[in-house]
Amino acid sequence: MEKIKPNGVAQTTKKTFSRETGVSIDIYADASILWALLTNASDYPRWNSTVISIEGEIKKDEKIKLKSVLDPKRVFKLSVKAYEPEKKLVWGDAMGQREYLITTIENGMTNFSMTEKIGGPLFPLFAKMIPPFDASFEQFAKDLKTEAEQISNTK
Amino acid sequence: MTDEQFNKAFEEAQGQLKSYILRITASIQDTEDIVQDTFIKASEKLSSFRGDSSVKTWLFTIASNLAKDNLRAKKRWTEDVTDICKAKALANPDYFPEVMYIQQTSTHGQFEIKEHITFCLTCISKSLPLEQQICILLKEVYAFKVSEITIIMDNSEAMVKYYLHTARTKMVDIFEGRCALINKEGACHQCSELNGIFNPKQNFEIEKNKIEMAKIGERGEKEHLLDLRLQLMKEIDPFDSNGSDLQLHHLEHNRKIMENFS
Repeated sequence: MEKIKPNGVAQTTKKTFSRETGVSIDIYADASILWALLTNASDYPRWNSTVISIEGEIKKDEKIKLKSVLDPKRVFKLSVKAYEPEKKLVWGDAMGQREYLITTIENGMTNFSMTEKIGGPLFPLFAKMIPPFDASFEQFAKDLKTEAEQISNTK
Repeated sequence: MTDEQFNKAFEEAQGQLKSYILRITASIQDTEDIVQDTFIKASEKLSSFRGDSSVKTWLFTIASNLAKDNLRAKKRWTEDVTDICKAKALANPDYFPEVMYIQQTSTHGQFEIKEHITFCLTCISKSLPLEQQICILLKEVYAFKVSEITIIMDNSEAMVKYYLHTARTKMVDIFEGRCALINKEGACHQCSELNGIFNPKQNFEIEKNKIEMAKIGERGEKEHLLDLRLQLMKEIDPFDSNGSDLQLHHLEHNRKIMENFS
Protein backbone atom coordinates (compact mmCIF):
# COMPACT_ATOMS: atom_id res chain seq x y z
CA MET A 1 0.00 0.00 0.00
CA GLU A 2 1.33 3.44 -0.91
CA LYS A 3 2.03 5.97 1.81
CA ILE A 4 -1.19 7.13 3.44
CA LYS A 5 -1.78 10.83 4.11
CA PRO A 6 -1.89 11.56 7.87
CA ASN A 7 -5.40 12.99 7.70
CA GLY A 8 -7.32 10.28 9.54
CA VAL A 9 -9.10 9.19 6.37
CA ALA A 10 -8.93 5.47 5.63
CA GLN A 11 -7.86 4.07 2.30
CA THR A 12 -8.60 0.60 0.95
CA THR A 13 -6.87 -1.25 -1.86
CA LYS A 14 -8.70 -4.26 -3.23
CA LYS A 15 -7.07 -7.08 -5.21
CA THR A 16 -8.38 -10.48 -6.27
CA PHE A 17 -6.83 -12.36 -3.39
CA SER A 18 -6.47 -9.61 -0.80
CA ARG A 19 -7.79 -6.40 0.62
CA GLU A 20 -5.76 -3.82 2.50
CA THR A 21 -7.07 -0.93 4.57
CA GLY A 22 -4.94 1.76 6.21
CA VAL A 23 -5.25 5.00 8.10
CA SER A 24 -2.71 7.50 9.35
CA ILE A 25 -2.99 10.46 11.70
CA ASP A 26 -0.68 12.90 13.48
CA ILE A 27 -1.15 13.04 17.23
CA TYR A 28 0.15 15.67 19.66
CA ALA A 29 1.36 13.19 22.25
CA ASP A 30 4.49 11.28 23.12
CA ALA A 31 5.06 7.89 21.47
CA SER A 32 5.06 6.26 24.91
CA ILE A 33 1.46 7.36 25.52
CA LEU A 34 0.33 5.81 22.24
CA TRP A 35 2.24 2.66 23.07
CA ALA A 36 0.69 2.44 26.53
CA LEU A 37 -2.79 2.80 25.07
CA LEU A 38 -2.19 0.27 22.29
CA THR A 39 -0.71 -2.38 24.55
CA ASN A 40 -3.06 -2.25 27.56
CA ALA A 41 -5.60 -4.87 26.51
CA SER A 42 -8.22 -4.49 29.23
CA ASP A 43 -8.24 -0.70 28.89
CA TYR A 44 -9.28 -0.62 25.19
CA PRO A 45 -13.07 -0.47 25.67
CA ARG A 46 -12.65 2.61 27.88
CA TRP A 47 -11.22 4.79 25.11
CA ASN A 48 -11.72 2.90 21.85
CA SER A 49 -15.29 2.78 20.62
CA THR A 50 -14.48 0.18 17.95
CA VAL A 51 -13.45 -2.46 20.48
CA ILE A 52 -15.82 -4.38 22.74
CA SER A 53 -13.11 -6.26 24.59
CA ILE A 54 -9.61 -7.66 24.38
CA GLU A 55 -8.65 -10.54 26.62
CA GLY A 56 -5.07 -11.59 27.24
CA GLU A 57 -1.82 -9.68 27.32
CA ILE A 58 -0.52 -7.73 24.38
CA LYS A 59 3.07 -8.90 24.44
CA LYS A 60 5.36 -10.65 21.95
CA ASP A 61 4.12 -14.16 21.05
CA GLU A 62 1.10 -13.87 23.37
CA LYS A 63 -2.40 -14.77 22.18
CA ILE A 64 -5.33 -12.40 22.58
CA LYS A 65 -9.07 -12.65 22.05
CA LEU A 66 -10.60 -9.60 20.43
CA LYS A 67 -14.27 -8.67 20.08
CA SER A 68 -14.91 -5.86 17.65
CA VAL A 69 -17.94 -3.65 17.15
CA LEU A 70 -17.70 -4.54 13.45
CA ASP A 71 -18.64 -8.16 14.16
CA PRO A 72 -19.75 -8.36 17.83
CA LYS A 73 -20.71 -12.02 17.79
CA ARG A 74 -17.30 -13.19 16.69
CA VAL A 75 -14.22 -13.63 18.84
CA PHE A 76 -10.98 -13.15 16.90
CA LYS A 77 -8.19 -15.30 18.26
CA LEU A 78 -5.01 -13.48 17.36
CA SER A 79 -1.28 -13.81 17.99
CA VAL A 80 1.00 -10.89 18.70
CA LYS A 81 3.58 -11.20 15.94
CA ALA A 82 5.71 -8.09 16.40
CA TYR A 83 6.26 -6.06 19.55
CA GLU A 84 8.79 -3.24 19.30
CA PRO A 85 8.06 -0.80 22.14
CA GLU A 86 6.94 2.64 21.00
CA LYS A 87 7.49 1.69 17.34
CA LYS A 88 5.63 -1.29 15.98
CA LEU A 89 2.91 -3.72 17.01
CA VAL A 90 1.51 -6.48 14.83
CA TRP A 91 -1.19 -9.00 15.57
CA GLY A 92 -3.07 -11.37 13.34
CA ASP A 93 -4.28 -14.84 12.39
CA ALA A 94 -4.09 -17.06 9.32
CA MET A 95 -6.46 -14.79 7.41
CA GLY A 96 -4.67 -11.52 7.92
CA GLN A 97 -2.71 -9.19 10.10
CA ARG A 98 -2.93 -5.74 11.53
CA GLU A 99 0.12 -3.53 11.87
CA TYR A 100 0.40 -0.44 14.05
CA LEU A 101 3.30 1.92 13.44
CA ILE A 102 4.30 4.77 15.72
CA THR A 103 6.79 7.35 14.46
CA THR A 104 8.03 10.35 16.41
CA ILE A 105 7.89 13.34 14.08
CA GLU A 106 9.22 15.91 16.51
CA ASN A 107 9.20 16.45 20.22
CA GLY A 108 5.64 15.94 21.39
CA MET A 109 4.21 14.99 17.99
CA THR A 110 3.81 11.46 16.76
CA ASN A 111 2.46 9.83 13.61
CA PHE A 112 0.24 6.83 14.05
CA SER A 113 -0.61 4.50 11.20
CA MET A 114 -2.57 1.30 11.12
CA THR A 115 -2.94 -1.13 8.24
CA GLU A 116 -4.70 -4.44 7.97
CA LYS A 117 -4.22 -6.84 5.13
CA ILE A 118 -6.54 -9.80 4.77
CA GLY A 119 -6.28 -12.36 2.04
CA GLY A 120 -5.28 -15.79 0.80
CA PRO A 121 -6.33 -18.30 -1.84
CA LEU A 122 -9.87 -18.57 -0.43
CA PHE A 123 -10.30 -14.83 0.01
CA PRO A 124 -12.52 -14.36 -3.11
CA LEU A 125 -15.06 -16.77 -1.57
CA PHE A 126 -15.35 -14.78 1.65
CA ALA A 127 -14.67 -11.25 0.43
CA LYS A 128 -18.31 -10.21 0.33
CA MET A 129 -18.91 -11.43 3.88
CA ILE A 130 -16.19 -9.26 5.37
CA PRO A 131 -17.47 -5.76 6.11
CA PRO A 132 -15.48 -2.71 5.00
CA PHE A 133 -12.98 -1.50 7.61
CA ASP A 134 -12.75 2.13 6.57
CA ALA A 135 -15.19 3.71 9.03
CA SER A 136 -13.92 1.57 11.90
CA PHE A 137 -10.28 2.48 11.11
CA GLU A 138 -11.09 6.17 11.02
CA GLN A 139 -12.91 5.91 14.35
CA PHE A 140 -10.00 3.97 15.88
CA ALA A 141 -7.52 6.65 14.81
CA LYS A 142 -9.81 9.43 16.01
CA ASP A 143 -10.36 7.78 19.41
CA LEU A 144 -6.63 7.22 19.84
CA LYS A 145 -5.88 10.83 18.97
CA THR A 146 -8.53 12.16 21.38
CA GLU A 147 -7.42 9.97 24.26
CA ALA A 148 -3.67 10.43 23.74
CA GLU A 149 -3.98 14.21 23.44
CA GLN A 150 -6.14 14.38 26.56
CA ILE A 151 -3.50 12.42 28.45
CA SER A 152 -0.76 14.60 27.06
CA ASN A 153 -2.57 17.71 28.28
CA THR A 154 -2.81 16.40 31.86
CA LYS A 155 -1.40 19.06 34.18
CA MET B 1 22.35 17.25 55.04
CA THR B 2 23.10 16.68 58.71
CA ASP B 3 21.51 13.90 60.75
CA GLU B 4 19.61 16.51 62.68
CA GLN B 5 18.20 18.09 59.50
CA PHE B 6 17.26 14.66 58.21
CA ASN B 7 15.49 13.67 61.42
CA LYS B 8 13.51 16.89 61.32
CA ALA B 9 12.58 16.40 57.65
CA PHE B 10 11.54 12.81 58.32
CA GLU B 11 9.42 13.84 61.26
CA GLU B 12 7.66 16.42 59.10
CA ALA B 13 6.93 13.89 56.35
CA GLN B 14 6.14 10.94 58.61
CA GLY B 15 2.41 11.58 59.00
CA GLN B 16 1.85 11.84 55.27
CA LEU B 17 4.12 8.88 54.58
CA LYS B 18 2.12 6.74 56.98
CA SER B 19 -1.27 7.60 55.54
CA TYR B 20 0.08 7.19 51.99
CA ILE B 21 1.48 3.72 52.66
CA LEU B 22 -1.66 2.68 54.54
CA ARG B 23 -3.79 3.72 51.58
CA ILE B 24 -1.62 1.62 49.27
CA THR B 25 -1.19 -1.47 51.44
CA ALA B 26 -4.38 -1.33 53.55
CA SER B 27 -2.30 -2.93 56.29
CA ILE B 28 -1.42 -1.21 59.57
CA GLN B 29 1.47 -3.59 60.26
CA ASP B 30 2.94 -3.27 56.77
CA THR B 31 2.61 0.49 57.02
CA GLU B 32 4.54 0.58 60.29
CA ASP B 33 7.23 -1.69 58.81
CA ILE B 34 7.56 0.24 55.56
CA VAL B 35 7.74 3.62 57.24
CA GLN B 36 10.39 2.30 59.62
CA ASP B 37 12.34 0.71 56.76
CA THR B 38 12.12 4.00 54.86
CA PHE B 39 13.75 5.75 57.79
CA ILE B 40 16.50 3.14 58.01
CA LYS B 41 17.17 3.09 54.27
CA ALA B 42 17.19 6.85 53.99
CA SER B 43 19.53 7.16 57.01
CA GLU B 44 21.93 4.70 55.41
CA LYS B 45 21.90 6.56 52.10
CA LEU B 46 21.97 10.03 53.57
CA SER B 47 25.51 10.71 52.35
CA SER B 48 24.45 9.96 48.77
CA PHE B 49 21.45 12.30 48.85
CA ARG B 50 22.48 15.14 46.57
CA GLY B 51 19.39 17.28 46.89
CA ASP B 52 18.28 16.78 43.28
CA SER B 53 14.76 16.52 44.64
CA SER B 54 13.17 17.61 47.91
CA VAL B 55 13.68 15.35 50.93
CA LYS B 56 9.94 14.64 50.90
CA THR B 57 10.13 13.42 47.28
CA TRP B 58 13.16 11.30 48.14
CA LEU B 59 11.43 9.72 51.15
CA PHE B 60 8.28 9.02 49.14
CA THR B 61 10.44 7.40 46.45
CA ILE B 62 12.01 5.02 48.97
CA ALA B 63 8.67 4.29 50.63
CA SER B 64 6.92 3.74 47.28
CA ASN B 65 9.57 1.24 46.19
CA LEU B 66 9.24 -0.65 49.46
CA ALA B 67 5.44 -0.66 49.10
CA LYS B 68 5.73 -1.93 45.51
CA ASP B 69 7.95 -4.79 46.71
CA ASN B 70 5.46 -5.56 49.46
CA LEU B 71 2.53 -5.68 47.05
CA ARG B 72 4.23 -7.40 44.11
CA ALA B 73 2.83 -10.85 44.83
CA LYS B 74 -0.54 -9.64 46.10
CA LYS B 75 -3.66 -9.47 43.99
CA ARG B 76 -5.32 -6.17 43.25
CA TRP B 77 -8.76 -5.75 44.76
CA THR B 78 -11.97 -5.70 42.75
CA GLU B 79 -14.36 -2.81 42.15
CA ASP B 80 -17.09 -4.55 44.16
CA VAL B 81 -14.84 -4.85 47.23
CA THR B 82 -17.45 -3.20 49.46
CA ASP B 83 -20.14 -5.72 48.42
CA ILE B 84 -17.81 -8.68 48.98
CA CYS B 85 -16.63 -7.46 52.37
CA LYS B 86 -20.11 -6.47 53.51
CA ALA B 87 -21.35 -10.01 52.80
CA LYS B 88 -18.44 -11.46 54.78
CA ALA B 89 -19.02 -9.08 57.69
CA LEU B 90 -22.70 -9.98 57.85
CA ALA B 91 -21.80 -13.66 57.87
CA ASN B 92 -19.34 -13.20 60.73
CA PRO B 93 -21.11 -13.15 64.13
CA ASP B 94 -18.11 -11.48 65.79
CA TYR B 95 -17.85 -8.58 63.39
CA PHE B 96 -20.54 -6.22 64.67
CA PRO B 97 -19.91 -6.84 68.39
CA GLU B 98 -16.27 -5.95 67.71
CA VAL B 99 -17.05 -2.70 65.93
CA MET B 100 -19.71 -1.70 68.44
CA TYR B 101 -17.15 -2.26 71.20
CA ILE B 102 -14.69 -0.01 69.38
CA GLN B 103 -17.33 2.65 68.97
CA GLN B 104 -18.27 2.54 72.64
CA THR B 105 -14.77 2.41 74.11
CA SER B 106 -12.45 4.29 71.77
CA THR B 107 -11.92 8.03 71.67
CA HIS B 108 -11.40 7.50 67.92
CA GLY B 109 -14.46 5.33 67.40
CA GLN B 110 -16.93 7.81 66.05
CA PHE B 111 -18.59 6.95 62.75
CA GLU B 112 -18.52 9.88 60.33
CA ILE B 113 -19.84 9.74 56.79
CA LYS B 114 -16.98 11.78 55.36
CA GLU B 115 -14.44 9.37 56.85
CA HIS B 116 -16.29 6.44 55.39
CA ILE B 117 -16.22 8.14 51.99
CA THR B 118 -12.43 8.30 52.16
CA PHE B 119 -12.27 4.72 53.45
CA CYS B 120 -14.32 3.68 50.43
CA LEU B 121 -12.01 5.67 48.14
CA THR B 122 -9.03 3.80 49.61
CA CYS B 123 -10.70 0.44 48.95
CA ILE B 124 -11.82 1.29 45.43
CA SER B 125 -8.43 2.75 44.52
CA LYS B 126 -6.93 -0.65 45.28
CA SER B 127 -8.79 -2.00 42.26
CA LEU B 128 -6.66 0.20 39.99
CA PRO B 129 -3.34 -1.12 38.74
CA LEU B 130 -0.76 -0.20 41.40
CA GLU B 131 1.02 2.41 39.24
CA GLN B 132 -2.27 4.20 38.66
CA GLN B 133 -3.20 4.10 42.33
CA ILE B 134 0.19 5.47 43.37
CA CYS B 135 0.09 8.26 40.78
CA ILE B 136 -3.39 9.47 41.66
CA LEU B 137 -2.64 9.46 45.40
CA LEU B 138 0.63 11.29 44.96
CA LYS B 139 -0.88 13.94 42.70
CA GLU B 140 -4.33 14.50 44.13
CA VAL B 141 -3.89 13.72 47.83
CA TYR B 142 -0.22 14.42 48.57
CA ALA B 143 0.10 17.37 46.16
CA PHE B 144 3.15 16.20 44.23
CA LYS B 145 3.76 17.71 40.80
CA VAL B 146 3.91 15.46 37.72
CA SER B 147 7.66 16.20 37.49
CA GLU B 148 8.13 14.95 41.08
CA ILE B 149 6.03 11.85 40.46
CA THR B 150 8.28 10.94 37.53
CA ILE B 151 11.13 10.79 40.05
CA ILE B 152 9.16 8.79 42.60
CA MET B 153 7.90 6.35 39.94
CA ASP B 154 11.15 6.31 37.95
CA ASN B 155 9.04 6.71 34.84
CA SER B 156 8.60 9.21 32.02
CA GLU B 157 6.33 12.21 32.28
CA ALA B 158 4.20 10.76 29.48
CA MET B 159 3.63 7.52 31.38
CA VAL B 160 2.84 9.32 34.62
CA LYS B 161 0.24 11.35 32.73
CA TYR B 162 -1.13 8.14 31.25
CA TYR B 163 -1.46 6.57 34.71
CA LEU B 164 -3.07 9.69 36.14
CA HIS B 165 -5.56 10.06 33.35
CA THR B 166 -6.59 6.41 33.29
CA ALA B 167 -6.84 6.29 37.10
CA ARG B 168 -9.11 9.33 37.17
CA THR B 169 -11.30 8.08 34.33
CA LYS B 170 -11.73 4.68 35.96
CA MET B 171 -12.47 6.15 39.38
CA VAL B 172 -15.09 8.48 37.93
CA ASP B 173 -16.76 5.54 36.19
CA ILE B 174 -16.63 3.25 39.21
CA PHE B 175 -18.12 5.78 41.61
CA GLU B 176 -20.74 6.84 39.08
CA GLY B 177 -21.83 3.22 38.80
CA ARG B 178 -21.61 2.35 42.47
CA CYS B 179 -21.98 5.27 44.85
CA ALA B 180 -25.56 6.00 45.88
CA LEU B 181 -24.43 9.37 47.24
CA ILE B 182 -23.94 10.65 43.69
CA ASN B 183 -26.22 8.35 41.73
CA LYS B 184 -29.63 7.17 42.91
CA GLU B 185 -29.14 3.97 40.92
CA GLY B 186 -25.77 3.32 42.59
CA ALA B 187 -25.43 -0.15 44.11
CA CYS B 188 -23.56 0.85 47.27
CA HIS B 189 -25.43 2.41 50.20
CA GLN B 190 -22.86 1.49 52.81
CA CYS B 191 -22.49 5.05 54.16
CA SER B 192 -26.17 5.36 54.98
CA GLU B 193 -26.43 1.79 56.26
CA LEU B 194 -23.48 2.15 58.63
CA ASN B 195 -24.57 5.60 59.72
CA GLY B 196 -27.94 4.08 60.64
CA ILE B 197 -26.18 1.49 62.79
CA PHE B 198 -23.65 3.73 64.49
CA ASN B 199 -25.63 6.98 64.65
CA PRO B 200 -29.26 5.86 64.81
CA LYS B 201 -30.47 9.23 66.05
CA GLN B 202 -28.96 11.13 63.17
CA ASN B 203 -30.92 12.18 60.12
CA PHE B 204 -28.79 10.82 57.28
CA GLU B 205 -29.97 13.41 54.75
CA ILE B 206 -29.01 16.29 57.04
CA GLU B 207 -25.63 14.75 57.86
CA LYS B 208 -24.95 13.87 54.24
CA ASN B 209 -25.68 17.39 53.08
CA LYS B 210 -22.92 18.72 55.31
CA ILE B 211 -20.50 17.15 52.83
CA GLU B 212 -20.16 19.13 49.64
CA MET B 213 -19.71 16.09 47.41
CA ALA B 214 -22.81 14.35 48.75
CA LYS B 215 -24.79 17.58 48.81
CA ILE B 216 -24.15 18.22 45.11
CA GLY B 217 -24.70 14.51 44.38
CA GLU B 218 -26.32 13.84 41.04
CA ARG B 219 -26.22 17.51 40.04
CA GLY B 220 -22.43 17.52 40.11
CA GLU B 221 -20.04 17.22 37.24
CA LYS B 222 -18.42 13.78 37.54
CA GLU B 223 -14.81 14.94 37.49
CA HIS B 224 -15.60 17.61 40.07
CA LEU B 225 -17.24 15.03 42.34
CA LEU B 226 -14.08 12.95 42.20
CA ASP B 227 -12.03 16.04 43.07
CA LEU B 228 -14.24 16.66 46.09
CA ARG B 229 -13.86 13.03 47.15
CA LEU B 230 -10.08 13.31 46.85
CA GLN B 231 -10.17 16.59 48.73
CA LEU B 232 -11.86 14.82 51.66
CA MET B 233 -9.08 12.26 51.62
CA LYS B 234 -6.53 15.05 51.70
CA GLU B 235 -8.14 16.49 54.83
CA ILE B 236 -8.39 13.26 56.83
CA ASP B 237 -5.53 11.50 58.56
CA PRO B 238 -6.60 7.84 58.76
CA PHE B 239 -4.46 7.32 61.86
CA ASP B 240 -5.74 10.33 63.76
CA SER B 241 -9.30 11.08 62.80
CA ASN B 242 -12.47 11.01 64.89
CA GLY B 243 -13.23 7.50 63.70
CA SER B 244 -9.75 6.21 62.92
CA ASP B 245 -10.04 3.13 65.14
CA LEU B 246 -13.34 2.17 63.57
CA GLN B 247 -12.21 2.76 59.99
CA LEU B 248 -8.85 1.04 60.51
CA HIS B 249 -10.75 -1.98 61.82
CA HIS B 250 -12.91 -1.91 58.65
CA LEU B 251 -9.81 -1.62 56.47
CA GLU B 252 -8.01 -4.52 58.15
CA HIS B 253 -11.17 -6.59 57.78
CA ASN B 254 -11.43 -5.78 54.08
CA ARG B 255 -7.75 -6.49 53.46
CA LYS B 256 -7.96 -9.90 55.08
CA ILE B 257 -11.05 -10.73 53.02
CA MET B 258 -9.60 -9.48 49.74
CA GLU B 259 -6.22 -11.18 50.23
CA ASN B 260 -8.02 -14.51 50.41
CA PHE B 261 -10.65 -13.73 47.81
CA SER B 262 -10.45 -15.61 44.54
